[in-house]
Amino acid sequence: MTVITEILQLFLTANLWQIALVFAVMLLLPALGGVISERSGVVNIAMEGMMLTGAFFAVWADLNWHSPWIAALVAMIAGGLMASIHAVVSIRFRADQIVSGIAINIFAAGLTVFLVRSIYGLQDVGHVTQAESLPNWNIPLLSSIPFLGQVLFQQNVIVYVALILLVVVEIVLFRTRLGLRIRAVGEHPQAADTAGLNVYVIRYGAVITSGLLSGLAGAYLAIGYSNTFSPGMTGGRGYIALAAMIFGKWTPRGAFVACLIFGLGTAIYANNSTIHISQYLLNMLPYIITLVVLAGLVGRSTPPAADGVPYAAGSE
Amino acid sequence: MPLASVLFAFVVGALILLVTRANPIDAYTGLLCGGLGLGCTQGENSALQISNTIVYTIPLIMAGVAVALPFRAGLFNIGAEGQFLAGAIACTTLGVKLHDWPTVILLPTVLVGGMAAGAAWAGIAGLLKATVGAHEVVTTIMLNYVAQLLLEFLIVGGPLELKSGTSKSLPIGDGARLATFLPANNSLVFGLPSSVYRVHTGLIISLVAVAVFAVLLWRTSLGYEIRAAGQSQKAARYAGVSVRRTIIVTMLIAGAFAGLAGAVQIAGVDHNLTDKYTADTTGFDAIAVALLGLGSAVGILLAALLFGALHAGGAVMQADAGISSQLVLVLQALILFSIAANFLNAIKLRIPRLGRAPSAPASPAVAVAPPQEGPPTT
Amino acid sequence: MGRSQIRFLALVGAALLFVVACGSTSAPAATKQVKVGLVTDIGGLNDKSFNHLAYLGLQKAITDFSIKGDVTESKTGDDYVPNLTNFASKGYDLVIGVGFLMQEAVGTVSGQFPSVHFAIIDGAGTDASGNDLKHTNVESLYFREQDAGAMVGVIAGMLERDKKAPGNTGVISAVGGVSIPPVNHYIAGYKWAATMEDPGIKVLVGYSNDFTDPAKCKSVAQTQIGQKSEVLFQVAGGCGLGVLQAAGQAKVYSVGVDADQKDADASVIASALKKVDVATYTAIKGVVNGSFAGGALTFDIANDGAGYSLDNITLPADIQTELDRVQAAIKAGQLTPPADIPA
Repeated sequence: MTVITEILQLFLTANLWQIALVFAVMLLLPALGGVISERSGVVNIAMEGMMLTGAFFAVWADLNWHSPWIAALVAMIAGGLMASIHAVVSIRFRADQIVSGIAINIFAAGLTVFLVRSIYGLQDVGHVTQAESLPNWNIPLLSSIPFLGQVLFQQNVIVYVALILLVVVEIVLFRTRLGLRIRAVGEHPQAADTAGLNVYVIRYGAVITSGLLSGLAGAYLAIGYSNTFSPGMTGGRGYIALAAMIFGKWTPRGAFVACLIFGLGTAIYANNSTIHISQYLLNMLPYIITLVVLAGLVGRSTPPAADGVPYAAGSE
Repeated sequence: MPLASVLFAFVVGALILLVTRANPIDAYTGLLCGGLGLGCTQGENSALQISNTIVYTIPLIMAGVAVALPFRAGLFNIGAEGQFLAGAIACTTLGVKLHDWPTVILLPTVLVGGMAAGAAWAGIAGLLKATVGAHEVVTTIMLNYVAQLLLEFLIVGGPLELKSGTSKSLPIGDGARLATFLPANNSLVFGLPSSVYRVHTGLIISLVAVAVFAVLLWRTSLGYEIRAAGQSQKAARYAGVSVRRTIIVTMLIAGAFAGLAGAVQIAGVDHNLTDKYTADTTGFDAIAVALLGLGSAVGILLAALLFGALHAGGAVMQADAGISSQLVLVLQALILFSIAANFLNAIKLRIPRLGRAPSAPASPAVAVAPPQEGPPTT
Repeated sequence: MGRSQIRFLALVGAALLFVVACGSTSAPAATKQVKVGLVTDIGGLNDKSFNHLAYLGLQKAITDFSIKGDVTESKTGDDYVPNLTNFASKGYDLVIGVGFLMQEAVGTVSGQFPSVHFAIIDGAGTDASGNDLKHTNVESLYFREQDAGAMVGVIAGMLERDKKAPGNTGVISAVGGVSIPPVNHYIAGYKWAATMEDPGIKVLVGYSNDFTDPAKCKSVAQTQIGQKSEVLFQVAGGCGLGVLQAAGQAKVYSVGVDADQKDADASVIASALKKVDVATYTAIKGVVNGSFAGGALTFDIANDGAGYSLDNITLPADIQTELDRVQAAIKAGQLTPPADIPA
């Protein structure tokens, strides 16, 4: 009982929500990428690998050029390039998209360590200094609001970017012609083709966008929060993002809700020095909550109709 | 064709090595020696290398089946890892609690116990899928984390811990252990103490498992239903197949295979549950094995052997040639790409051809989706 | 006690030799080149922690003794036995397993190859029940991490007592990786010494359940900072770098672990040292000059196998005096930091 009170009391602390948002955003960016890719009909389980690649190149670029902005850009490009492999293999070569995604994840895990060895040998990759990391911005006035100020307006620049992107992706996907086209390609590619849309171009664009977003998430993790690279540092976050995307029924806002659950889980777990329960059981909380919510409230999640089906234009 | 794809991957791997100024010949000599015991240059014992490869291969075969079977039904079981751990936990718990039972009773008990635990773990995902439609990718990922944390809870300061601070369980009873083919003593075989050859009777179990998979899939009505559900749920329903029942049963059987893999690993190799299981990757490697094996029994066997050999070979490559064993991951990825995209054919014919889907259904994420108009939500 | 005193003297000797050897590269006149194999645990060589330190010890030995040294990284726990066996079967003279997690593997393989020497960091060669098999060809390299933890605990405790910490909140903390003995020893010494210096101090102890992901450790550290902690001791290897980052951002103090981490962040005021490199080197040296004895070697503050470094801070004189007093008292056996975290 005391444990429950202890956890409930945490919800009244701004610190908890602030940390929850940090980790929610780390998942939100790849999840948004996943939503875009799968809405266009390309299954994407490669966010983990694209994020890890982004994390490595962010640190590498930041240490070389001493600019977090350039580094973030490099990370996005790196993520985008990994996504291009996925795109070429699954769109051009019409390979099984799950195989390709798994291959990207394995590839990134091997490649990043291999690059660490080739570039840095067995030395530390090195630390990104506070001055050269992606900065925290306190928004004037707003950041001094009690509670909400600390949670929402004393955050890293990428947190603001991600929250804006959440709104942008939601609007673009469901309120614009571009969004309609993306969804059309993901639901009825033949019909979309007949209507004059270039299925390939839209799918390439969507997959590569998912890589850019995952790369940015990697940059945030590596040079906005951890300020270093360590092998495998994404630690399964890309897979959690995948789960969040499906949990959210392939919508940005739904995915964000799931990301918040996981972010809160991380933040609650971070309190294990004062909560009197086995840290392992405490750590299980977000996963069990997700299962319970799926079983009771959310239920069926159905992917876009042509998600995962390679498209071959009629003539070829 | 897969053989050519593997060769293709090795050629690309060699290029990567050359770019990073490493010697591909040294690297591949090390891999070949460590993986298959061939062409060893630095005094490695060939029999030992082959034995290590087989030990790595055994759990991959069973876990590979655990991923391949649901694929056939249009389900993506990303949770073989959690089911593997559930099997290992159950096997250890039974093997410790009932340690003084005789082998004839205890060994089947721990193996069946592991299968039951794996089945239950996967069954949760199957049940949620069949009843409320919760996507198995989400539920199995969640169940992986829960299993991993449950394992840590049990052995780090928890009820299964041997004694405080050891981070491992008591060993299972002698009766719960799978025998090795060679005596576990120091009599010399091929120049080394025979106990270094750890190949155990779990090999036979894994071969039986993969045979059961083939028979189940192609020779039983359940197998027909699984394949039908995988092709098209709608058509399967017209054919009188209960898709819900098929989903649940498929996941239960798949989980039993993965749980068996975990139980065999405990009973045949480790004999107790240790910290290292929290970093285990068998269930994830199994996804690649199932995809690479094109969902067939022989394919899974060969793919598991290839991954086992690469795993064993990577260590020898690093010791001999000083090249990071992570190269193995790059090679694995290249092999997957190459098989999936069928680059060679595409290059040969200069035109893209329909990709050979590794599993009969185009892709599970699709196959599970009942055809439906419009976006799923508004 | 007689036996352990002899060990102790032998170690002091070894440590002295180590210091002497630092300057020289003269190889002993060996007829055959000594071969040493190092097997890391799953942390790998870039772990910024003990695998890396062990590798540094090996490198130094390669330079000093002209030995052949090879490394294999373990990708999973299933690799421990085969990796150790590979080296042993190829006639290596010494095979070193790095880490507590490899105890059983070393126990098994050392029994199969009685003529090969083995050494293991942070553990012994055990059977499946965790009993030390006491194979004579195995050297167990133990550390009294609590000695090192106590020294940095003295610093943290006195900063709080003397109101010299950033906010004088009376709260300090530690972030451990996983709750296993080598981690908890450090924290035990830290909490014990801090409480000794400042009985009213509050010491928070949290875990990240990870040794590699800095973000996880940072979230735990930020939470502790939110609970007013102002000296944070990281005991989580590469993950713990996140602790140092969190302290730097919040302008509070942090304490590094294993190696001197003063360059990791400006907030690092001290580091608790565990000289895995010295231990590795000592074991190799034993094989090279034929003095390898087997059994347990303990590295502690008395034989300079554990200790502390002062980093980005200038300490008040009274703290330095107290550090010297406590160090002398631990060396003399008058003070014994506990191995278990005090309640």
